[in-house]
Amino acid sequence: MRARAMSRRRGFWHEVRKNWVMFLMLLPTLLFFLINSYVPMVGIYFAFTRYNFADGLFGSPFVGFENFRFLWQSGKLIQLTLNTIGYNLAFIVLGHTLAIVCAILLSEIGARFFKKLAQSIMFLPYFVSFVLINVIAYNLLNYDTGFINSLLVRWGMEKLDFYSISWIWVFLIIFFYLWKYLGYYAVIYLAVITGISDEYFEAAKIDGANIFQRIWYITVPMLRPTFIILLLFSLGSIMKGQFELFYQLVGNNGLLFNATDILDTYVYRSIKVTFDIGMATAAGLYQSLFGFVLIMTVNYIIRKVNEDYALF
Amino acid sequence: MKVKDAEYSLLFKTIAYVMVTIFTLVCLFPVLLIISGSLTDNETIVRNGFGLIPEKFSLDGYMYVFKYPTAILRAYGVTIFTTVVGTALGMFFITMAGFVLQRKDFKYRNQFAFYIYFTTLFGGGLVPWYIMLTKYMKLMDTYTVLIYPGLMTPFLIILMRSFIKSAIPDELVESAKIDGANDFRIYRSIVLRLSMPGIATVGLFLALQYWNDWFLSSLFINDTRKYQLQFYLYNIINTVQFIRDMAISSGVSIGNPPTEAMRMAMSVVVTGPIVFLYPFVQRYFVKGLTIGAVKG
Amino acid sequence: MRRNIKLVAAFLAVMLILLTGCMGGGKSEPGGGGSGGGGSGGRTSASGLDISQRVELQFYMLGDAPVDLPLIEAEINKMLVEDLNATVKFNFTTWTDWEQKYRLLLTSGQPVDLIFTAEWTQYQAYAKNGAFLALDDLLPKVAPKLYAFVPQEMWDAVRIDGKIQTVPATWKEYVTFGNVWREDLREKYNLPIPDSLENVEKYLAGIKQNEPDMIPLAANGLFHTPGYYDFKYEPAGVASYGFPYGLYIPYDDPSNVQQFWGSERHLEDLLVMKRWMDNGYISRNVLTTQDTAHTMLVTGKSALMMGDNPNRWNSTNQDMKSTHPDWELGYYPYPLKKGYATPVHPIHNGFAIPISSQNPERALAFYELMVTDKRYNWLTQYGIEGTHFQVTEDGYYEGLSDSFKREGMNGWAWRNPEYMLFDESFEAVNEIFHELDKIAKPDIFTGFAEDWTPYQAERAALEQVRQQYLHPLEVGLVDDVEAGLRTFMEKAKEAGLETIQKSYTEQWLNYLKEAGIQ
Repeated sequence: MRARAMSRRRGFWHEVRKNWVMFLMLLPTLLFFLINSYVPMVGIYFAFTRYNFADGLFGSPFVGFENFRFLWQSGKLIQLTLNTIGYNLAFIVLGHTLAIVCAILLSEIGARFFKKLAQSIMFLPYFVSFVLINVIAYNLLNYDTGFINSLLVRWGMEKLDFYSISWIWVFLIIFFYLWKYLGYYAVIYLAVITGISDEYFEAAKIDGANIFQRIWYITVPMLRPTFIILLLFSLGSIMKGQFELFYQLVGNNGLLFNATDILDTYVYRSIKVTFDIGMATAAGLYQSLFGFVLIMTVNYIIRKVNEDYALF
Repeated sequence: MKVKDAEYSLLFKTIAYVMVTIFTLVCLFPVLLIISGSLTDNETIVRNGFGLIPEKFSLDGYMYVFKYPTAILRAYGVTIFTTVVGTALGMFFITMAGFVLQRKDFKYRNQFAFYIYFTTLFGGGLVPWYIMLTKYMKLMDTYTVLIYPGLMTPFLIILMRSFIKSAIPDELVESAKIDGANDFRIYRSIVLRLSMPGIATVGLFLALQYWNDWFLSSLFINDTRKYQLQFYLYNIINTVQFIRDMAISSGVSIGNPPTEAMRMAMSVVVTGPIVFLYPFVQRYFVKGLTIGAVKG
Repeated sequence: MRRNIKLVAAFLAVMLILLTGCMGGGKSEPGGGGSGGGGSGGRTSASGLDISQRVELQFYMLGDAPVDLPLIEAEINKMLVEDLNATVKFNFTTWTDWEQKYRLLLTSGQPVDLIFTAEWTQYQAYAKNGAFLALDDLLPKVAPKLYAFVPQEMWDAVRIDGKIQTVPATWKEYVTFGNVWREDLREKYNLPIPDSLENVEKYLAGIKQNEPDMIPLAANGLFHTPGYYDFKYEPAGVASYGFPYGLYIPYDDPSNVQQFWGSERHLEDLLVMKRWMDNGYISRNVLTTQDTAHTMLVTGKSALMMGDNPNRWNSTNQDMKSTHPDWELGYYPYPLKKGYATPVHPIHNGFAIPISSQNPERALAFYELMVTDKRYNWLTQYGIEGTHFQVTEDGYYEGLSDSFKREGMNGWAWRNPEYMLFDESFEAVNEIFHELDKIAKPDIFTGFAEDWTPYQAERAALEQVRQQYLHPLEVGLVDDVEAGLRTFMEKAKEAGLETIQKSYTEQWLNYLKEAGIQ
C-alpha cells in the first residue's frame, strides 16, 4: 500500500525509470500508433473546411458545420443510425454466441480427423471476398435463373423476387455475415478453451458433474472475459463497419434501401457525387463521436463492476 | 451416476457431430459453387447461372489467369514474403505489448490500452495518412509499405492481452520477479511458452490479414512487379465494376473485359493455396497448443 | 540479463530502421533530386528550355499498365535523355478505386507532373478548385509546337475560369449515342431496324416472341436511361443518369430550361419502362446484375443496347465475332434522328499539370514530344514496330502481340490525327464519322463547369432520393407508376431539389451568356 502511494506521488517519470524494460517493450507499439494514427488525426480538420487545392488544408475557408449538413438533409439520419446499430448489434451478439457454441461443440468432438476437417472448412468462408459472396447470392436468388427460383418452379410454386423484398435482406445480410465470420471467431474461443487446464474438468468429473454442467460451470465462465473484451471492443465501432458486405450485396438497388441502408453506404453514395473530403470526414467524425461516448459510458460501468473485464 | 454421465456425454456428442456437420456443409456449399463456377463456360453463366456441377465445362477462366504466369507467380512471392516477414515482426511487437498491458504492476496499463484503443474510434481519414506514408516516409513503391502499416492492429493487441491474461497467473510472474528475472526475460521464458494457443491464434489472424491484403498494393504500388496476389483478383473485379458504372459517361472501351468465370477462377487461384496450407499450419497450431498444455 | 537487453535493443534498432531508414529508401526522389544529371552545365533544349538538371517526370494515366510497359519506358527514356535531359516514369492507377486514387494524387501534394483529365474524372470541378496549373503563359514558351498544333478554339473550349488548365486531344471523334442490335436476328425474324422508338419496341417484341429465353434489352442499372432520353429528346446533354437534376435543356433553345422530373412527359416515359418490364424486355434483376451490357450482347443473352458510341459498337462487334462468327451487330446513331451530331468536346480527353508538379516546364515539353513527335507518339500508342505491331501495305495497323495492344497505354489524350493508325475494322466507324461530320454542331454542354458547392448537401441528399425512388421507376420495377413518381417528387423536394435547380439554372444561363451561346 505504501509503495503504491509513494509511486503515485513520484509520478510518471519515476514509473518509467522503475519499469523501463516494460516501457521499452511497449515503445514500438506506441510509436507505431503515434505515426500511423495520431499524427494523421490532423485530418479531422477537413470536416470543417471547404477544401481547395491552392490554399491547402489549413488555408482553406472554415465553414463550421456545413459539411455535416448532408447527413440530415435527406431526413434519413435517424433511420440510418438505427439501421447501423441494429445490424451491428445482431452481428456482435449472434456472431459471438454462435462462435462460442461452435467452439464448445468442436472441443468436445473426439475424432481428430473430423474435428480438424470441420474446423478447416468452417474457416473457408473467411477467404471468400464480399464481391464473390454477392456473385453466389445473385446466383442463388436472382429472378430469371436463380438456383432457388428454379427449384420453386420445378416444385410448381410461384417465383420469388428476392431483390425487391427488402425485409428478407435483413436476414440474408446477417446470415452472410455469420457465414463468413463463424470460423474466424470460433478459432478465438477454441484457443481459450484449449488453454483451460484439464485439472478443472477432472475435478468436476470426480464431483459428479455431467457434461452439460461441466460446460456451463467451467467452460462458459472461462470464456466470459474474452467475450466481454471482444464485445466492448466492437461497441466503439458500432456506427461503422461492414461497408463491403452491404455495398456488395445490395449495391444500387434502391428497392432495398429502407431495410438495408447503413451510414457507410449512405456516405459512400453521397461522396460519389460530390467528391468532397470534408463531407467524408464529417460523417466519420459523427460515427467516431457516437462510438466514443458509447464506449466510455459502458467501459466506465463495467470497470465499476469488475475491473478485470474493462477494456482500459 | 457414472452411467448417467456417459449417457449425457453420448447425447452431447451426437448433438455436437450433427451440428458441426451442418455448419460444415453450410460453409462448404458456396465454396463448391465458386469452384464449379470457375470451371463453367462463361456464356452459360451469363445465360443460365451456374450450379454445383458445371453445365458446360470450360477452362477459359484459368487460361486467362495464367496467360502471364510469371506475373502471378511473382505476386505469390511478394505475398508470401510480406506475410512471413510481417507476421514475424508484428507478432514480436504484439506479444510484447499484450504482455505489458496485462501486467498488474504496470501502473499506466489502462492509459496505454486506451491510447491504443482510441485509434479505432477516431481517424483523420485516408488523405493525411496517405501523405504521411508517401511524402514524409517516402514509402511509395517499396516492399516496406506492404508490411509496415499492417504490423499491429488494436484488435490483435487487445486480444493478445486477454489471451496472456487468461493463460498466465499473476503469481507466476511475481515469483519470477522475486527470483530476479527482468521483464523481458519473463516475457521470453514464461509468456512465449505458456500462451502458445493465444499466440498461434493471433499469429494466424495476422498472417491472414497480410495474405488477404490488396488495399496497400492498390494505394501505394505503381510498379506491377510489386503487386500482391489479392490485388490481381480485386483489379479484375474492379475493372468490371468500372465498365458497369462508367461505360456510358466515359465512353472508354475496354476490349475483352474480364468475365465472371475469370473472377471465380482468379479467386480460386488466389485463395486455393492458403486453404491447402491451412491444415498444415493448423498442425503446428495444434502442436503449439499441446506444448502449451504440457508446460501448463 | 545483459543479453536480453541487447536483444531488446537489437529489435528496437530493427524497428527504427523500419521507421526511419526506409524514409530515404523510397525508390528515387521524383523531381526533387537530380544530382545524377550534372555534367553538362547550362544545357538547353531545342526550344530554349534550361535542361541542365536531370529530372524524372511522374506521368499518371488511368487504367492498367500494359505488360510490356517497361520496354516502352526504356525506349522513350533513351530519347528523352537526349532531347530534354529527363526520364519519365509511366504510372497507371488501375481501375481499382481509381477515383479515390485520383483524388489522393492531387490532394496529397506528391509530385505528379502529368495527369489525365476528362469530364468524367471531374476535370471542371478539380480545375475550379485550383488543382491544376494554368498553362496560358507556359504553353507558348516551352511548347510552341504543341500550342500551335492544337486549334485556338479548342484551347478556348477547355478554359475553366478563363484559364487553360489541360491540353486537349485534337482527334475529332464522336462519342454520341446509338442503338446496337443483333442484325442477324433482325433479318432472321424480319423485324424493323430500331431507328425510332416505335421500331425499337417492335424489335424488342419480335425478339421476345421468337427467342423467349432472351432478355431483349441489355440493361444493367440505368445503363439504358441516358440513351433512351437522348434518343427520344434533343437535349443539350445528358448526365450519366439522364437529365441533370431533372432539367431538360433543349439543344436548339438552351436558355429555355424546362422541368422534366414529375412532368407529363416523364410519366409517359416511366410508363414505357413499366410496359417493357411487364412484357419481359427488361430483366427483373436489372438493378442487381453484375453483367455489363456489353457482356449481355456478346453472350447472346440480350439483343439490343441503347446508348453506345460508334467506337465501342465496333469493338463489341469484333469481340462477339471472335466467339460467334455468324452473329452481327447493327448500329444506328441517334444524331441521324436528331439532325445534328456533336463531336467530342475537347475536355473529354486531356492532360493537365497538377500544381504539385516539380517540373512543369519539362513536363509540358515532354508532352509536346508525345503528341507532335512521331517516334514518341507511335511508341506510346502502338508499341515497338515489328515487335508489337506492323503497318500493313494498305496503311492499316496490325497487332502482333498481346503484351502491348493498340493504344495499350490508354493514350486517348495524346492521339495525333496525323500519325494515327487504325485497324482495318475501324473503317466501319470511320464511315459513321463521315456521316456525322455532315451534320456536326458544337457541343454546348460539356464546357459548362458546374459549381455545386452552394448546394453540396442538397446534391448528396438528392442523389439518395434518386437512387431509392427514381431508379426503380426508371427500370419499370414499381407497380404503381403515378404514385411512385409522386413519392419521388415529394422526397426530392424535401431533399432540396428546388434550391439545386434554381442555382443550377442561374449558373447555366450565366455560362450561356459568357460563352456567347444565343
